[in-house]
Amino acid sequence: MKKTNQKKSHNVIYMKSLSKRYDDEAGVLDALKGINLEIKDGDFIAIMGPSGSGKSTLMNIIGLLDRPTAGVFLLDDVDIATLSEKELARLRRDKIGFVFQSFNLLPRLNVFQNVELPMVYARKSKSERKLKVAEVLEKVGLADKAKNRSNRMSGGQIQRVAIARALTNNPSLILADEPTGNLDTKTGEEIMDLLKSLNQQGVTIVLVTHNPEVGKYANKIVWVKDGLLTKKKVPV
Amino acid sequence: MILQNIKMALISIRSAKMRSFLTMLGIIIGVFAVLVMIGIGDGVKSQVSSQVSSLGSNLLTVTSGQIGGSGTTAKNGQQQKGGGGFNFASSVGTSTLTSQDVKTIEQTKNVTATAPFNIVSSNVAYQDLSTSSPFISGTTANYSDIRQLKLENGAFFTTKDNDNNAKVAVLGADTKQNLFADGDALGKEIVIRGQKFTVVGVIKKSDTGAGFGASSDDIVYIPINTANQVTNSNQIFRILVQVNDPKNISSTQNAIKDALKTNHAGQEDFSVLTQEDLLSTFNTILDLLTAFVVAIASISLLVGGIGIMNIMLVTVSERTREIGIRKAIGATSGNILSQFLIEAVILSVIGGLLGLALSYVAGLVVKKFAGITPVFSLKALVLALGVSLFVGVVFGVAPAIKAARKRPIQALKAL
Repeated sequence: MKKTNQKKSHNVIYMKSLSKRYDDEAGVLDALKGINLEIKDGDFIAIMGPSGSGKSTLMNIIGLLDRPTAGVFLLDDVDIATLSEKELARLRRDKIGFVFQSFNLLPRLNVFQNVELPMVYARKSKSERKLKVAEVLEKVGLADKAKNRSNRMSGGQIQRVAIARALTNNPSLILADEPTGNLDTKTGEEIMDLLKSLNQQGVTIVLVTHNPEVGKYANKIVWVKDGLLTKKKVPV
Repeated sequence: MILQNIKMALISIRSAKMRSFLTMLGIIIGVFAVLVMIGIGDGVKSQVSSQVSSLGSNLLTVTSGQIGGSGTTAKNGQQQKGGGGFNFASSVGTSTLTSQDVKTIEQTKNVTATAPFNIVSSNVAYQDLSTSSPFISGTTANYSDIRQLKLENGAFFTTKDNDNNAKVAVLGADTKQNLFADGDALGKEIVIRGQKFTVVGVIKKSDTGAGFGASSDDIVYIPINTANQVTNSNQIFRILVQVNDPKNISSTQNAIKDALKTNHAGQEDFSVLTQEDLLSTFNTILDLLTAFVVAIASISLLVGGIGIMNIMLVTVSERTREIGIRKAIGATSGNILSQFLIEAVILSVIGGLLGLALSYVAGLVVKKFAGITPVFSLKALVLALGVSLFVGVVFGVAPAIKAARKRPIQALKAL
């Protein structure tokens, strides 16, 4: 799983003069005003900033849930500006693993079914799914919980399932949005330790948070303020 | 993927059993109603056809008016079987048949017997009991032989009774029961049109079950000459004709037609029908009736479909967050569309199958209590599946499109 050093130079995310303008009945809002960002393979980067800074918008664009208004955005060297909605959905499926603050498992499905879902959409065979689900559940320490329902599990366990789900399609990066926001401090630390260890195994992680304690786990922190990135610490 | 969608649909249907059942109810009732109506229609058809064929395949019925051919083809004398030109009025209006026609038919080759009959409208009374339900028919002694009537008591009236305008009557089993209960009817006097008739015979109850037309047991036969005298008219409603051999039925049919045309100044204002013709006329009417009832029943299918659409729209709203999650982890709009469409179709098809099962049960009930055996064929199964599939697709598309169009960011924010 460990990536070689020569691959370290590869850009998973490359953004140049990226901007996002919301223009609707509520008025015009420039959420991002020219973002330049490079995230390399194997990075563990925290994007921090107060609410209203444009942090969420940046995260949505990185996660291919939203499109920039102007500027360049290459994901794994693919220019997303030219892609259709369907192609974006496929890229999202193959390159991005989401971990949400509110976990976002499907309550009607058991752990196995939740974790295999990205592979179902990727049309992977049943045997392949079975193998991979077992592998990622092992990785997050829930190998024996495959048949469980999420409503019978603790918050920490649920977030582990979500992380396992994010890993199934071997994404280029894991995008974690306040992954500890709904957890107590101790459980939060366990989740961050898990993410840290995944990063050490070579998984690129983009962490979005306003919590400095959580941000500390990252190798690198970028701050968002008024739609721009800054190296300087911003009060949150 | 489709297999996965079916699995997903079953999971979400199971997770809300009550709601799913109520949603299906419209389709269940719709499919049930349509299938039962068709089943009863087909059942009546097969019952009537067995009744008609029990009358004998060597029978012809001559009736007034044009039946089975279109009116415009009358001049060339060619009848089209099953053609739509059935003139109801001409078959029940004042008859064009005469006693001369009866004589003509009697002299036609291969004819072994004829029995003209007419209908007398009147109450039938015995002492202070009176009933309006019996079908009173004036006919000749031959009628009993041609129809192979079996008598419980007494005998059918004779040709001599007819010649003498005798006031005698033969009662059907039900009429006898209505007027005399379990008492003896023979020799008693009943009153028809103010005239006293002596009961000379009682017919055995027929075994063909609930009656349609001629096999009814609520019937009174009197001599046709007496009937004409009593009603002061000279009407012949139908003439039953017995042919010596079923092989000759077609040639005799044509011979009678030609002979009667001469009597009727070249006009074919009458019909000579085989039992098959009668049956096809009946079936035409019954098919029309069935189609009408089925059309009404289909409205409940429409309502059922709207019910599915309604619930699916609610479901889509409720599951907005699920849609957001699925899109975030890589579902395309197409994936979401097919998921919800398949869910609607599965709801509908399960409803259809339940409706099918229910209609089968109802068939058993109808058979037990109404004496009609509904016929359920492969046609019904295909129809139930096809219609419910169709309804599911038609009414599932709009909610599925709504689901597929949801933007993932907004959808993820939903509670």
